[in-house]
Order: sequence, then C-alpha cells, then structure tokens
Amino acid sequence: MTEVTQITALTTIQCKQQAVRSVRFNIDGTYCLTCGADKKIKLWNPHKDLLLKTYGGHANEVLDVAGSSDSSQIVSCSTDKSVILWDVTTGQPLRRYRAHASSVTCIKFNEESTMAVSGSIDNTVAFWDVVSRRQEPVQVLKDAKDSITSIQVTNHEVLTTSVDCHTRLYDLRVGKMVSDYMGAIITHGSLTHDGQCYVLSCSDGTVKLIDKDSGELLNTFTGHETQDFMLENCVNEKDNQVISGSASGEVFYWDLISSSVTNKLVHKMHKPVVSICHHPTDSMLLSACEDEIKLWGNVIAKE
Amino acid sequence: MSGSDSDDENIVQYGTPLEPYEEDEVPSKRKFQQPPDQYAVDAHGRRRFHGAFTGGFSAGFGNTVGTPEGWTPATFKSSRSEKAQTASQRPEDFMDEEDRSEFGIAPKQMQTVREFSGQKRSRPNRYHEGPIPGEPVLEQLLRPVHESAAVRMLQAMGWREGQGTEFREAKQDSEESSESEFEYETLFAPEDYEPYILQRKNDKFGLGYSGLSRHSVLGNLVGEYGSSDNRSHLVMKDKGKKVSIRGQAFGVGAFEADDEDIYATEDMSHYDFALGAPSKQVERKSVKRDKNVLEGFMKSTKPLQPVPSYPPPTLPRDYKPKPAGSRRTRFEPTDKPQRDQGLGRHDLTADARGALLGEVPIPKASTENIPQPGTRTPTQNAIEKLFGKNVNFVSEKTESEDFISIKDTGGELKTFRPFVSNPSKQARYERYLESKTTDSDSAKDKLSKWEREREMLEFEQAAKLYRPLTGVIGDRFTHASQPDDALNPLCAVAKSSINYGLASEEMIEAAKKGAFGVMTRKKVDWQPEPLVCKRFNVPELGGSRQEQNKEVKPKVSYSIFSYMESSVHDKESFTKEQSKFSGSKSLSEEVRVQTPKNQDKTPAAASVNKRMTVAELFLKESENTEEKGQEVTETIEKFDRMDLYKAIFLSDSEDETKETDIFNEMPKNVERNDSPPRGIFANINFDEINSWKRSQSDKNSSDPKQNTNNTDKTLSSTDKNNIDAKQNTTDTANKVDRNATPEELNVYGPKIPDNFQLNIEFNTNEIFKPKFRRKEDRKDSSSSDSWVDAKEVKSKKHKKKNKKHKSKQKKSKHKKKDK
Repeated sequence: MTEVTQITALTTIQCKQQAVRSVRFNIDGTYCLTCGADKKIKLWNPHKDLLLKTYGGHANEVLDVAGSSDSSQIVSCSTDKSVILWDVTTGQPLRRYRAHASSVTCIKFNEESTMAVSGSIDNTVAFWDVVSRRQEPVQVLKDAKDSITSIQVTNHEVLTTSVDCHTRLYDLRVGKMVSDYMGAIITHGSLTHDGQCYVLSCSDGTVKLIDKDSGELLNTFTGHETQDFMLENCVNEKDNQVISGSASGEVFYWDLISSSVTNKLVHKMHKPVVSICHHPTDSMLLSACEDEIKLWGNVIAKE
Repeated sequence: MSGSDSDDENIVQYGTPLEPYEEDEVPSKRKFQQPPDQYAVDAHGRRRFHGAFTGGFSAGFGNTVGTPEGWTPATFKSSRSEKAQTASQRPEDFMDEEDRSEFGIAPKQMQTVREFSGQKRSRPNRYHEGPIPGEPVLEQLLRPVHESAAVRMLQAMGWREGQGTEFREAKQDSEESSESEFEYETLFAPEDYEPYILQRKNDKFGLGYSGLSRHSVLGNLVGEYGSSDNRSHLVMKDKGKKVSIRGQAFGVGAFEADDEDIYATEDMSHYDFALGAPSKQVERKSVKRDKNVLEGFMKSTKPLQPVPSYPPPTLPRDYKPKPAGSRRTRFEPTDKPQRDQGLGRHDLTADARGALLGEVPIPKASTENIPQPGTRTPTQNAIEKLFGKNVNFVSEKTESEDFISIKDTGGELKTFRPFVSNPSKQARYERYLESKTTDSDSAKDKLSKWEREREMLEFEQAAKLYRPLTGVIGDRFTHASQPDDALNPLCAVAKSSINYGLASEEMIEAAKKGAFGVMTRKKVDWQPEPLVCKRFNVPELGGSRQEQNKEVKPKVSYSIFSYMESSVHDKESFTKEQSKFSGSKSLSEEVRVQTPKNQDKTPAAASVNKRMTVAELFLKESENTEEKGQEVTETIEKFDRMDLYKAIFLSDSEDETKETDIFNEMPKNVERNDSPPRGIFANINFDEINSWKRSQSDKNSSDPKQNTNNTDKTLSSTDKNNIDAKQNTTDTANKVDRNATPEELNVYGPKIPDNFQLNIEFNTNEIFKPKFRRKEDRKDSSSSDSWVDAKEVKSKKHKKKNKKHKSKQKKSKHKKKDK
C-alpha cells in the first residue's frame, strides 16, 4: 500500500462561453477568470465550481484577461480593439481604451497593477496607465513586425512574443531591448519563476527553453501537437516542470531538465487545449478546451 | 285564539311575509325591494346616482360627490420656474371611467379615423390655448366651405349656387322677354330643384321610426354616418319661462318604474260618452286596390330604376397586385438590370485595367526581381550582404511603371479635359501636355506675359490633377505584390514564417542549426517613458532626456508644412513603407541604430528612409523620435521645411530684389497675391515654377551653352538631364556664391558625417539615378537658382548647395554667422 500523488481533474466547469479563449488564475489562485467568444468575462471559484460574476461590455470576442494584484480590478482585451478595465465588485467597466488599430490579443498587469500592458495584432505593445484617467497609451512599442502573441510582465521587464519569430525583452532598468530570433512563430512565451529563462511555444511543434541572459537554447520539449493553434505554456510552481497544451486535447508535462514527458493529462481528445494557467503557489493547473475548463490538482491515491 | 295558534303551528312559512294591506290602500304595482337594492351601482359597487333630482351621473373624483371628501378641485400652482399652464377643461375631466365605457354616457370606442371613414375630411379642432378657452367664436360662426371637385368643376363652367345644372335656356316667360333688359338673347339657368331621392329602407322598424340614436351625450358620432347633425341629442328648448330638456339620457331609470305623467291633465275627451261599441268609422272611399299593394299606397307606373352597376375596370394582363401597405425593402433584388454606374471599371480585372492604361505587366515575382547581375553596384551588394536579400526596394525595374506620362497613353486614354468650355485654352493645354511648354505658340493667342504665366500654373496644376493614375492620388498607390487571390479568405495564405522581423540570413541559418544565442540575438537601446518607469517603480533612465520626451499628442496637423513634408507621393518611398510595415523586407529602426561596424553602410539606407509617408509621419510625431541615428535624416527634413517656410514668408522681398537686379525688364505683377498658397495651390511650389519660368527667359540672355541644354531638356534621357541639372546647379552655385567652399557648406545646420557625404554622392549617381522621374528631370534642369521642392528626391549635396545659396542671398544673421 503506497501513497502516490496523482494529478487528476478536480473540477470541470462548463463555462457556456462558446469557446473559452483564455483562463487565468487570479493573483493568489483562489479564483479564476475565463473569457470567451460570447464577449463575456466570467469570474469563477474553480475550487468550488462556482460562478461568481459575469462581465459584459465587450463588443466582440474577449481574447485575454488579467486580474489585478489586489483582485479589485480586471483588465481584458478583445477583438473589438479595445482594452477594458473592470471593477470586480460592481461589474462595471471603469475605463475603455481604444488606441489599438486591431484586435488586442494579450494583456497583463504590471506587478503593482498600476499599468496594463497589451499586445495587439497591429504589431504594437501599449502601456496603459490604469491609475490616471488618461485614455492614450503611455508608451507604444512598435518593434515587432507582426502580431504580438503574448506578453509577460515582471517587476522591471516586459517580454513579448510575436508572429515575426522574435521574442523581445524590454528591460526598463537598463533601457535595452533584447530581441531573439527563434526561427518559428512564437505562440506564447512565459518566464520561469526565477526569471532566468523563457519558455517559448513555437509553431514548429516545440517548446523551447531559452536562457534569458545569453539567448541560448537550453532545452527543447516536443511530443505535443501544435498545428495552427495559439498554444500556451507555463511552468509549474517549483520550476521543475514545463507544461503546455496540445492540439490533441492533452496537457503535457515535461521535466525541465531531462525534457522527458512526465505526465499527460487528457482534457478532451482531439480538441485543442488552447489556454492553460498554473496556480501561483500550489500544484494546480487550469486548462481550457472549447467551452470547458478543468482544474487539475494532486490527489493522493492509495495503491 | 288557541285555534288560531294551532293553525300557526301547522303552517310552514317560507320567505318574508308581505306587509298586510291597509284596509283602504290601493295595492301598488311596485315590487317590494330592499333598500340597498334600490341603488344603482357601478361596476365597482359604488352608488351610481347621486342627488335627488339631478342624479344619473356618478360624479366627482372617485365618485366622491356627496361624500365628505366632496369634490377634488383642480389645484392651481404657478412659480417662477414653472409657470402655470392654462389647462382647458374638457367634459371628460368630469367623467369617470365608466362614463367612457361602452355603456356609459360618452362611450369611447375604437373607430376609423375620419380621414379614412369616407366622409369629408375636416380639420381636427385645435383650439387656442389662449385666455378664452374652448372653440373660438369666430370659428363657430364661420365654417369653412368644402367643395367637392364636382362643385368646383361646375363653378368653373359657370354654375352658381342655387341654379340647376341643366342646359341654360332662354327665358320663355312672355312678360319678361318684352322688357328691354333682356333684349339680347340671354340664357338663363334652369331652376334648381331638390332632387327627391328615395332611400331604400333597409331596416325593419316601422315607417318613420328612428331608433335610439347612437349619439353620445357629448354629441360626437358613434359610428353613425349620414347624419349632418352632430350635435348633442340633449336638446334644450326655451319656451318662455319653461326650460325643457329632452334627450336620451333623461328617460326612465333602469330601476325605476315609469313615472306617472304628473303633468297630464284630465280631459273629458279621454272618456267615453256612450256605452257599447265605438261608433263605426266613416266608410272610406274604397279604392280599387291592386294586388300586393298596401292600403294607402299605389303601384308606381314606372318601374324602380335599377341600381346601375359599374363593372370594375379590366386589369392589365401583367398586373400584379401590390398592397399599399407592403413596402419594398432595399435589399430585394430588382427586376431591372442595374444602371451602369461610374466608369464600369470595377468589372475590369487589374490586368485589364493595366492594359487600358498601357502598363507593362509586372513580372510575377516582384519581390525577387533583382536587377541583372551585371548592373549591380558594389554598394548594393554590400547592402544585400548586410541585410539579406531583401534590399530591392530600389529596384530599377520600377522605373518604367512608376510614371505613366500623358504622352504614352494620353492619346488613347480619355483623360479629363478641364478647359472644354474654352476651346483655345484647351488646345493650348493639350499642346502644353505634349511639349510641356507654351512658349512657341502662345504668341498667337495674344496673351500677355502675365496671363501666360498664370495659365502655365493652371496647366501645371491641371496636369497634375488630371493625370490618369499618376495624379495626386495615383502615386500614393502601388502595384499589388500579391495576386488578388490573397484577398480571398478561402484561399490559404502561404506561410512565410521564416523571414519575418528582419532576421538576417545569419540569424536564420543559426536558428536552423539551433545555435541560438549570440547569432540570433540583437540588443537595441530602448527608452521607457518616464511614467512607465514611475509605475514600474524603476528609476528613470537619463534624466536629461526628459525634455525630449515631452508628450506630443499625435495630432493631425493641417499645417501647410506638415503637408508638404508628408506628401511624398513617389512610389519608391511607398513601397518601402509598405514593405516596412509588412515586415517582409526593408530596413527598420533597428538597422539604423546598429552597431558601429555597420555604420559605413547604413547611410545609404538612411538616405532612402528620408522620404516619409503620411503614416510614418504620424508615427514619428507620436513617438517623438528618440534615436540618435535618425537625426541625420531628420536634419534634412528640417531643412526642407525651413526652406519652404522661407520661401513663403521670408525670402519674398529678397528674391524680388535679386530678381529685379537680373531681370529689370520683368514687369512686376501688382495684383499678385502674396499670401501663402492654400486650397489646390497648397501643394504647388510656386517659386520653383517661377524659377523655371525664369530660366526660360534666362535662356535668351545667358550663355549659349545653357541654351542648348534647355532645348535638349525635352529629351527623356535621364542621364543627359542629370548632367544638365548638375551643370546648372554648379553654374549657379559658382555664380552666386563663388567663395563658398565645401567646408562652409557643412557649417550650416547640424553637421553631416563625412562618410555620409561620400555615400550620398555615390548613391545619387549610382543607385538612385534610374529612380528620377521624367517630370523631376525637367525640374532639375531648370531649378538652377531656386531651392528644392520638398517632395523631390535630391541628393543631399544638391540640397546643401541650394541651401548655401539661399543663405547667401540673405542679409540675415545666417550670413553673418557664416562669415
């Protein structure tokens, strides 16, 4: 009789949002946000399978969403080219920013949630001052030559990935932008928790681990299906596993060092798992596939 | 008593015993009624009738008349902010809802509006809300006369009211005809008579009986037509002192028995005076009665006229009923073929249009059309080596399709003829288009010099405007690099993920090998906005740069200068821009600020980047350029702008003085407008045109060598023109500022690096030569003593010299600085 921890689906939520475009934990992982093709954002308690609030106001599909550090605000971006800042409790939009020339694909808050950073199909990254009433972006980064696919914001860095096969790391402290050519479209980029590596989902069917300082390739993770989907990746809370969705409907876990597949979670076969999000502190994972999100977590099974 | 008691015990009684009659009482016909039953109540169980004699109406607010609450009077309130409205009271205000219900005294019913009821339309009574409420008295007195169309027609034919409508006839009365008054033949209208119209009886009432009219108390018709009297049926008659009110509502109440006729007077005639049967009536004269005829009637001799029937008109065979109510939507397909709109150019394919315009079809792979290896210059090779294969934004190939002159196609093409109204002018215009001059033939047209000059400007403008495809708009477009299929969403777009984002070949190679790192990495300076730094809690970089980063709102400027700067219409810059945005080729800012080892090659690119499209201008303005490397190109732009500014505002007088020196004989145009050009002239460089003109006259006075040059200028040989241009510039440069050395040239404005100077010269001669457009060539050859149009592609040296020349002319502090 041995105790084995096993990752299983703790809860499954039918979001009824047609297609969930992204699923995100809030800052402490107690709630999660989903946004979908039904132009709505939904706030859930995934642990209790509870729908808490629905935020409506976008004119088109909501592509990405992020919660603020104090969980009092939500910022979302949509194909209607707008970025909306929401008040969590009232459900009312506080600001609506309309400077992007095309669909806004990704959005993040900075560490103190004083600024939202959004990336768009119009190849620009815009910094929005959430604190003031200013409607124009504070700064617009126009380095990318194609759509921005993802953004990561740390306390002094902004990492963007783009369809032009480049990652761009903007360092605010140094005033430098480091771009790395990856040879394939990068659909998502994330940073490891120690901030030393990028994890990049490439459209050539690989997930690459890149050293931030040198730009060298540290590891490549393969096995999943990419097809033409904007798959996301993340790193688990201990920085020892790389996780990525797959077009085959599975969630892949790779060992960061050995790059071997350690786990495969089946969300829904043959349906792409487009969005995943790892719990900030626990070994819990949210995955979104079609209009369904699943919360995965460790369960102690006795054998 | 006991017996009676036992009787009582045996009888079972039901109901309430009637009151025993008194001995001498006449039994009443009335049925016994409990007191509460005797009140008529409305639907809500409230008493309907109030008062002793005036009852019959439930009245008051909530039927409150007669209750302690009494009547609720209207409140009058008027304040300074809210003036009291004069509310006219209507009868309905005093009614309860049951009065307006179906069985009330003023029933409200759904009925057709008068307009549609078939009756004559009458204006809705709109009473004045003035001091006197209600219908105006004048309106009551004067009723508008509505005349039917037939009446009007009759009146037009001479009919007057009261006359008959038959043929006029001479009076036949003998006694009147004798009078002199009617000596001449006078025709009199026949007497009018009221036609006795028999109306068919279509009800089953007795003759002469009219049933209860459906008039409501208020007199408005309730669905009854035909009655001219739309007054209330409550008729009040004033007979002496007695007022009698007759009307429907004043009959016998529903719960009341018919009142005895209290006013009836006993009359002896009511009594019979003889016993037995009543005496026999006098035998009526027996008339011979027809069969089936009622007594008192006789059969008419004429049969009743049959009701004429008018058959409906026959419908056209292809008539389709279309109800008046059904409206066609715009989106229904029309039966008619659509009228040809515009030029019908939308049904042409791009190729067909190109063929019409006489274009040379572009080879498919336009991105790969590298010029022949033989003609490649070392610079180009170097650039290509540097940036990969995609440096062909200056391909010589485009030269042929860049400019479609009127000459090539104008004959066949139906260009717009702007001066059709003035044939001689149009002829001159066409001549101008052919030769681009007016000098030779204009003498015949007897135009003064000034007129001719003006016309020249006009022609120039018209030629610019009405040039097919290469007009003002035309050169903002470029040829599609992809076939039209690219716009078809059903066609798969070719994946080209390899060379996005300006990856160099080395980078691609490295990425292929998986050798990420130094090879694939680029480091570029980047300046975060101070506010971003603040929000990220990061110390700002370089406090000195703060002034530069002052927020400039990306406003669309309508200033003439920005327009001049932005209106770079040549194709080369456009393609460059486009490719830059698409990211497939060309250079970016990253390139401009590359590592110093490449710097000797970048100027070539930078000089290309000099040209700006509108889009880039906006971008530039919004981001308020930060990079040092860009400043090189910036300065030149500033020069252009400065040039223009001076051209318009400052240098006018100085030019004038200089002009008068050289061309004394030139008459000064007094009427000339000195204000900056606006409207359609905003884009014209008048000074250049003038200078061109000047060089024309110069031709006569100056040395023969120039003369030959100018006569040669109609030749389209670019090389020759280039040489001409150079000669002209050098000539004038020597002439005006002979002591200007190249070192001095660089003194003015920000210094341009030496290696730039070399490159610019080099590039002008080698790379950009084929890009000169013919029009510009012409200008080149003539713009000897003038500055340069901001739109033109010019070598910087050229510019410098002109600049120098310009500053020399001035007696301003610029010159002093130079000395």
